[in-house]
Amino acid sequence: MANILLVDDSRTSRRMLRNILESAGHTIIDEATDGEQAVEKYIANHPDITTLDITMPVMDGIEALKQIKQVDSEAKVIMVSASSQKDKLIEAVKYGAEDFIAKPFEPSQIISILNKLVS
Amino acid sequence: MFGHFFGNYLVKNGVITEEQLDSILKSQKSSRVKMGLIAVSEKMLTARQTYEINMLQVTLDKRFGDIAVEKGYLTPEQVNKIISLQGNPYLLFIQNLTEKNLATMEEIETYIQRFKADNDFTDEDIEAFKSGDIDRLTDLFINIKKPLYKEYVSLAIRNIIRFVDSGVIFNNAELVKTRRFQHLATQCVKGDHDVFIGFEGDDDALLSIAVPYTKEQFDEVDEDVYDAVCEFTNCINGLFASKLSYEGVNIDMLPPLFYTDAELVSEQGFYSIPLIVNSKKVNLLISIDSDIMIK
Repeated sequence: MANILLVDDSRTSRRMLRNILESAGHTIIDEATDGEQAVEKYIANHPDITTLDITMPVMDGIEALKQIKQVDSEAKVIMVSASSQKDKLIEAVKYGAEDFIAKPFEPSQIISILNKLVS
Repeated sequence: MFGHFFGNYLVKNGVITEEQLDSILKSQKSSRVKMGLIAVSEKMLTARQTYEINMLQVTLDKRFGDIAVEKGYLTPEQVNKIISLQGNPYLLFIQNLTEKNLATMEEIETYIQRFKADNDFTDEDIEAFKSGDIDRLTDLFINIKKPLYKEYVSLAIRNIIRFVDSGVIFNNAELVKTRRFQHLATQCVKGDHDVFIGFEGDDDALLSIAVPYTKEQFDEVDEDVYDAVCEFTNCINGLFASKLSYEGVNIDMLPPLFYTDAELVSEQGFYSIPLIVNSKKVNLLISIDSDIMIK
């Protein structure tokens, strides 16, 4: 089971994702609401896995991914977005994202991605 | 879909009461079986194929049957058979009306003819109601000529049906230049097209989207409700952005926003589509490549 940092500006999304992950036995160690907070909280908590929304105020998910990877090149980051736009996904993979979770959330998809990453 | 539109016509004309319509629609809902379940039990698909199609539905704005045919798992004939086994919504509505002794088959046929005449519908329009063809129904009701608007509105309505209210009712779009509102949850996208989309409603109307979408209970419109409706709007935009990206059109979604007691203003105008979502009046507002600002 993993310690997870949830990053999303939508509290609805954070709540939904928290419910799905906790029901699968994972622990949410902290939450962040924008990219800047995500980098700070990553450094403070060193989570096993970070879920990172792409569209956020202050600093978006792609920029936060870049900065987290500069701090820790081994960081396991899963991007979260309502959009599966090709260019965004390619950019995320280029900067080292491990996988992608689509909104609206499908619990079985999320749990299968997390389990794959944990194992 | 047919049941909601025709049922409301029957209520307006005093044939049945709102309570009777609610009861019919509830019975109809409980009679519907998921396509995947039927396909597996009929040995047309494996559980793994059904899972794969369900996963694809998360990111593609397509129906279960369409994906199954595209993947080569089912033939169009098999999809039709599953739909017939699932229970035709038109027939289920008629069956419920007669079983509850609210109308005979002959009376129903007469009401359908009146429904058709009163609304200037053609036989093809009635068929679209019966089959629940959303694209044709939005063509019929959403009187906007521009294709991108039609596509966006169809996608929004399909997602309302999928995640919020399978019986949503929609009416003709209105081109407006100003709109005072009490509550508005919105998101803009920028890029090859600039799009503004939002849901607006008075009092507790936005609860009709927030509660079913999150499956949580809210009592009044607060920041959680705004956030939930914004998130739903974000999902609609996300599907649209994904679709456009595969056509070489790029748009970027901006963080969603919400506003209370303000006014939308546009010189070129924007469209307002009146919806009845879970019995509450909500307007879907949309503007593409047009000026729009909040005062």
